[in-house]
Amino acid sequence: MFARTALALILGATGALAQSIPDRPEKLAFAPVTFQIPRAAEHKARLKNGIPVYLSLAEKEASPLVRITLSWRGGSYLDPKGREGLAQLFGAQLARGGTATLSAEKLEDRLEALAASLGSSCGDTSGNLSLTVLEQDLDEGLGLMLQVLTEPAFAQDRLDLAKRQQKQGLGRRNDAVTSIASYQMPFLLYGETHFASQDPTAASLDALTREDLKAFHARLLHPSNLVVTVSGRGNRKALLAKLDAGLGALKAGAGAQVSPAVPAPTHVRKPGIYVTDKDAPQAMVQWAFPGLRRTDPDWHAALVMNQLLGASGFTSRLMKKIRSDEGLTYGVRTALGAGPHWRGDLTGSMQTKNRSVAYALRLALAEMRRMCDEAPAAEELKVIQDNLIEAFPAQWSGRQAVAARFAEEALLGWPEDWWVDFRTKVQKVTPADVRRLAQRLLHPDQLLILAVGKASEMEAGDADHAGKLAELLPLPLVRLPLRDPQTLKPLN
Amino acid sequence: MSIPIACRGWLTAFLVAAPLAAQSIPVVEKTLSNGMRLVMVERHDQPTISLGWMARVGSADERPGITGMAHLFEHMMFKGTRTIGTKDAKRDAELNDLQDKVQTQIRQEMSILRERQRRGEVADMMDPKARTPRLQQLLKDFDGLVQEQRGLVVKDEMDRIYTQAGGTGLNASTSQDRTFYIVGLPSNKLELWMWMESDRLANPVFREFYSERDVILEERRQTLESRPGGVVGEAFNAMTWAANTYHWEVIGWPSDIAQVTREQAATFFATYYAPNNLTAVLVGDFDPAKAEALAERYFGRIPANTKGVPEIITLEPAQPAEQRMIAEVETTPSFQVEYKTVSAVHKDAPALQALAGILGGSSAFMGRPGGGGGRGPSGRLNKALVLDQKVATSASASFRGQKLGGTFSLRATPAQGKTPADMEALLQTELDRVAKDGVTEAELERYKKATQVGLWNRLETNSGIRETLSSFLAVGSVQDFEGAQARFQALTRDDIQRVAKAYFPRSGKNVLITQRAAAPKAAEGPMDPDLAALPEPVRARIKAQLDTMMKLDAVALKEQLTALEGRLSAMPPQARPTVEYLMKKGRERLQKLEAK
Repeated sequence: MFARTALALILGATGALAQSIPDRPEKLAFAPVTFQIPRAAEHKARLKNGIPVYLSLAEKEASPLVRITLSWRGGSYLDPKGREGLAQLFGAQLARGGTATLSAEKLEDRLEALAASLGSSCGDTSGNLSLTVLEQDLDEGLGLMLQVLTEPAFAQDRLDLAKRQQKQGLGRRNDAVTSIASYQMPFLLYGETHFASQDPTAASLDALTREDLKAFHARLLHPSNLVVTVSGRGNRKALLAKLDAGLGALKAGAGAQVSPAVPAPTHVRKPGIYVTDKDAPQAMVQWAFPGLRRTDPDWHAALVMNQLLGASGFTSRLMKKIRSDEGLTYGVRTALGAGPHWRGDLTGSMQTKNRSVAYALRLALAEMRRMCDEAPAAEELKVIQDNLIEAFPAQWSGRQAVAARFAEEALLGWPEDWWVDFRTKVQKVTPADVRRLAQRLLHPDQLLILAVGKASEMEAGDADHAGKLAELLPLPLVRLPLRDPQTLKPLN
Repeated sequence: MSIPIACRGWLTAFLVAAPLAAQSIPVVEKTLSNGMRLVMVERHDQPTISLGWMARVGSADERPGITGMAHLFEHMMFKGTRTIGTKDAKRDAELNDLQDKVQTQIRQEMSILRERQRRGEVADMMDPKARTPRLQQLLKDFDGLVQEQRGLVVKDEMDRIYTQAGGTGLNASTSQDRTFYIVGLPSNKLELWMWMESDRLANPVFREFYSERDVILEERRQTLESRPGGVVGEAFNAMTWAANTYHWEVIGWPSDIAQVTREQAATFFATYYAPNNLTAVLVGDFDPAKAEALAERYFGRIPANTKGVPEIITLEPAQPAEQRMIAEVETTPSFQVEYKTVSAVHKDAPALQALAGILGGSSAFMGRPGGGGGRGPSGRLNKALVLDQKVATSASASFRGQKLGGTFSLRATPAQGKTPADMEALLQTELDRVAKDGVTEAELERYKKATQVGLWNRLETNSGIRETLSSFLAVGSVQDFEGAQARFQALTRDDIQRVAKAYFPRSGKNVLITQRAAAPKAAEGPMDPDLAALPEPVRARIKAQLDTMMKLDAVALKEQLTALEGRLSAMPPQARPTVEYLMKKGRERLQKLEAK
């Protein structure tokens, strides 16, 4: 220990003599970092039945784990009317309900013996079955995964349990402002009938049977619906051979269908300030403007505008104003939806005490107006551009991230190498572009605002910053009733 | 020793399993001349570095009156330095002093209000309506100073510099035991990190101090008060820890957050943020020898606190009697029993983690010191309560080891038709079974294998290694990290049976039963006596229905009343009063509408 400290002292002393510390961080010089973006072609292969596989493997990887994910196109947009929750329940039960030859208990027992995890889930438009296993146990793990994929049993007792758990979950829908907002906002955005607002109800869960799950499985199990990712320790050729022998032999079965296009909503939105009354110490506020698709020629300018407005933490204008200056919230952020099934939305959210809702929203709207009125200073814009460009390599950090990125693009139908010119395009965005996109997207007359909290306090506003919620914008103020947690019918 | 043939298969499989994770991560540890420690892991897969430094101070180092200080401090560390965050350091400092002076006067007024509250003359001293005229004026004066300072502040400049440099995940977190400041950077920016972090340790300025207290009160509302069960959880924790300073939540009591002073913060900083109480963790694409030399140049300039850091003296006394809390919470009913056990580095911690893992399901991997348990499908609790007996919809066990102590919890959510109280005996039975018969060899071996995979799961990325290493450093040392796997592999069935017998006396029980509370009524003012006469659970819903009915026009209201009348006869007798109430109110309203 003495020697180590002494050496440190010497190093410290000579270092201090040789170089002093500059008075500002800008005076530091940095060697360039070169980062070659991974290309899809280097990672992609196809099984003999056409299923695409994205691999990011290394034989000398320190970690002995292998991760395989089978993703499918198809999700709750395929739920039949009255069977809302089918896709979700299917996703939850695929890996939990055993197989034709292994009971649920036996399957769990085998997985546990391998310390492997096999999980599944299904969302609105896609789902996946995912395995993590030690390299030494890969063959057995992969075998179990394939069995689950091709002949799941959806054991009745496990299904019943899942339904009981889900129904208990339904009962919690009105417990918190956050969970209330998460069912209210989709109704405002997509209307009463589009799948994006259709969550399970007690009745739809009751109606769901094992046969429904089996039929749903049969329709999805088509090679054209599947995309595979593999990452971790291993040899590419050997792994591909294993996959080809199993998954590569999969053929479309009798009921199998290529999942159809996801239907876009037809609902005509009614801009307004919507208020749901819930007695809570703090309100949840969300808003949405119509956005654009990632294929839009202005996408990168919109992205930069959004980062500047509210998507890059403390460097965003909304955070500086509403949190740092005013102390009104723990966090405010915006997000730019990308599609692909329909254009995304430019959304925002924050939580603040009830009486601050009107004032915080007023501050947010003023920042948005400023984005439309003035082009940002070149230096402010450069911070955002430099961040997107410099932090770009971190987005590809880890083998899992690389493989998953390509698979996600493939699953959504975006061009595989879309990210190749990302940095160049971000670099080209000008202050005038940012203003133009603000003007294009931030239309207050198309705004939907949802505030869930104590209505009387939210509507009255703050004594220290006078201004009622109704005076925020020339938009109607609408009381939106809570919905029955079991039926999702408005409570009136 | 001979091994029966039948067993050899799985034993061999286990022995050739993955190399012990922690030993495969080469950690370099250095100490700077001022006592600051560097813990480094070199990995060259990507051109990035995950960085962090930890102050070994948390809410457990606080005392009543300044609870929440360690966490407030975490926020203040982002407010800048003499160089970063201001256009005019001199005027900025003057304004800070002026603000302090006004705040001293504000505190005098708050003392008056505190006394009024004590005497029952005002209900809540924080209510704006309770303010004295002088307080109102002082707040106005203070706001003027804040506005002037705001003109000089270079807003969130630290964040801006890191953002522009390609920083990711700039953040900090505070626990009971430590405060950790992190960021990820491109590998060429190591020196930038050294500059920025040593600057905020050498030259901090706690500007925007008082408005940050408001941010924290919002954070408290968001993360604790508006979460169902949040404040009940806080009270349960306070009941469990009587003397130990884990008694309060990291975020602190609201009264203290609102009143803490900049001077108290400065004292706290001088005591706990000296380099001899700091450890930096660097993981990624860099050269450790160069990093050490840079660290000596940048961090080495900060003088050590020669007085040393005060130790936490208070020990939690043995709990003399079982304690129970029965709460109404607006969420699904639940049952929890918690026992105080041992710290994360105690020799019995691995056995308690294994016990939690085997009861809760070992698929919930460990990867932290003192973490363990969960709700895996093959856990004993899940098998017994959820799958076999179907009396619960979830059941879990967990061990949480911290620096000064730990807890062991069993939880269950009752199934339809069962109550939280029903869960108690069922959970106790499973615990007693382990104490009486122990666990099986297969359960133990599976648990051991799961811990290996679990640790590897956390050690695949730079940030994962940084987080895992730091969680060991918060309660122990690099040696604790390196030895973690070996300690698990050495566990025997006897160890687990022994802790199951030793740590769960009846007098050590802390029970939390939550029942579902009716949704609080949204209406203000005195309740309509007719409404008050209805059973409490239906009131909120009836009130909501009524609110909607009152907005109808005469035609629609008439229709509604007719419909209600039609349904009345088909209703069970106990449901009739609610409908009759609605109809009564509806008719009154209709009369008024028609009178117009």
